[in-house]
Amino acid sequence: MSDVQTSLTFRANAARAIKDAPLRSAMRQAADTFGTKRADAFAPVADLEALRDKASAIRLQVLDRLQEYVDTFAFQATKAGATVHRARDAGSAREIIAKILKDRNARTVVKGKSMVSEEIHLNAHLEKQGMEALETDLGEYIIQLVGETPSHIIVPAIHKNRQQVGRLFAEKLGVEYTEDPQALTKIARKALREKFLAADAGLSGANFAAAASGSLVLFTNEGNGRMVTTIPPLHIAILSLEKMIPSLADLPTFIRLLPRSATGQSITSYVSVITGTRKPGEATGAKELHIVLLDNGRSEILSGECREILKCIRCGACMNVCPVYRTVGGHSYGWTYPGPMGIVLTTLLTGMAQSHPLVDATTLCGACVEVCPVRIPLVDLFLKLRERRVREGFSKPMEKQGMRVFGKAAASPSLFSAGQFLSRTFWPLVRAFGGKDVAGRLPRPAKVPFHRRVP
Amino acid sequence: MTSPDLLRRFLENAGNAAAGTHVVFDAPGLRRVLSEIVPGTDPVFCPGLTDKEKAAAPFLPCRAADYASATATVEEVYGAIAETGSLVCVSSGGRAVQAGLLPSHHVAIVSRERIFATLDECFASFAEGPPTNITLVTGPSRTADIELTLAIGVHGPEKLDIIVF
Repeated sequence: MSDVQTSLTFRANAARAIKDAPLRSAMRQAADTFGTKRADAFAPVADLEALRDKASAIRLQVLDRLQEYVDTFAFQATKAGATVHRARDAGSAREIIAKILKDRNARTVVKGKSMVSEEIHLNAHLEKQGMEALETDLGEYIIQLVGETPSHIIVPAIHKNRQQVGRLFAEKLGVEYTEDPQALTKIARKALREKFLAADAGLSGANFAAAASGSLVLFTNEGNGRMVTTIPPLHIAILSLEKMIPSLADLPTFIRLLPRSATGQSITSYVSVITGTRKPGEATGAKELHIVLLDNGRSEILSGECREILKCIRCGACMNVCPVYRTVGGHSYGWTYPGPMGIVLTTLLTGMAQSHPLVDATTLCGACVEVCPVRIPLVDLFLKLRERRVREGFSKPMEKQGMRVFGKAAASPSLFSAGQFLSRTFWPLVRAFGGKDVAGRLPRPAKVPFHRRVP
Repeated sequence: MTSPDLLRRFLENAGNAAAGTHVVFDAPGLRRVLSEIVPGTDPVFCPGLTDKEKAAAPFLPCRAADYASATATVEEVYGAIAETGSLVCVSSGGRAVQAGLLPSHHVAIVSRERIFATLDECFASFAEGPPTNITLVTGPSRTADIELTLAIGVHGPEKLDIIVF
């Protein structure tokens, strides 16, 4: 798995991806399928706009008093038998998890899908310590076998076709080649079932954490999330701070929005609510539950002008409608989170110096804002980040010079008129020598400027 | 009290999620449905904790001692939700929620009066404090991770049958 961020070469990454015809067609197919299914799934929801308002308000309420909710969650989860750890950054989260496993002599870890674990590059760290961290979501399992990273947050292996998966399973699992998705799924079921039953520990993320009861909430379709949280004796959950919701009474709103926005299902096959450890007389739940609450830059985002990105519930709807994402795919963005929400989160979490080209990866069309179930003003955030890029000195020198000259000219009527005169005079030259790239894109200067035509 | 409309909505939504749905009114009805959907030779786990599970047990000729060695689980669940067609499985009363996860066939008995209209009603029933595990189950285990082609039965059950009793 590549742990190196490549957001700085976004343009080159994108150019490469655009030439990859099979990838483009897979991305387009995923985007179209989810886009259509999303629309169909919301069609019978009469009060969708009110539902989005409500979800947005709940998420804002959480952000306004995040520390309070986090403290309540930690207190209640502890009361229910869990051990809560707080990790300031990726490094300390990795250390905490590795230590929990090492102290219990746990070697094999089965993992449910978790973007946060990708964010902190957990697998590579555990493997370095001689532990096996096995992805069990089918898509994640496929790309782990190949040694790649997810290209889509909902369908991580969308860039692999059935023939590639068939050959991969034949080679790595020693089974007979088949390209039937149902048969391939059965092969994975069998291979992973043994792993679930033998694993020392299960590791999961969480879609939400209900503060009032200290509960973790997980949405899954395959059932692997249920496996990793109930079968091994030890369960470790890692989640970032902003996953809080006030209480389970708020969960129905998000059950109505998240699966519809993500895959166009009215609900996922499974929604699990886990509150603490197995209690005396019970037959369900891990004997030991550790919850790692990751900050990794969230507190800083919370106090800044782009705090609304923390409302995000990771549905991926903004990606499926984004004309840039649909064309260049998830890998081009060069870090864990792609697409419109990824542009904002990546630049904020990794810093402009590591990611500034991403703020150009948008047409500002606002399609993402139209579909966001929690009403994140993504276009406003892009503009704020563009201003920030200039402030922090990461804009291109030519652009900066050009803007300075234009600023001077625009402030002086005589200079502005001179500029208009020059552009009219030299237009034939520009047209003759500028070529398609320049002359074809520039508007032809008007013979009489607009302000002189207005009486 | 379950209105006929609530039951109809639940069955319709559960059916849309690819669950098999059956409605029975008495023990002979339960026997008929079980003999149709559970092959007599397969080892079946039935916890026998509730009256309805006790009623089902004699109709299962091949009982498994635990869910790990069973190919099917027949159990009564906490309730159901009409809005989403979901089953509500909980860990209270010493119930192993994973018994409905590991075997490839999950047969859930739902008491008619335990059908909630909405998700909100369901979660309101846990206001006193949730049990260790609440799992909403809607249809069989599924994935579309290979070329977005729907495949049923990944890690959880390939078949889900719901008997409203």
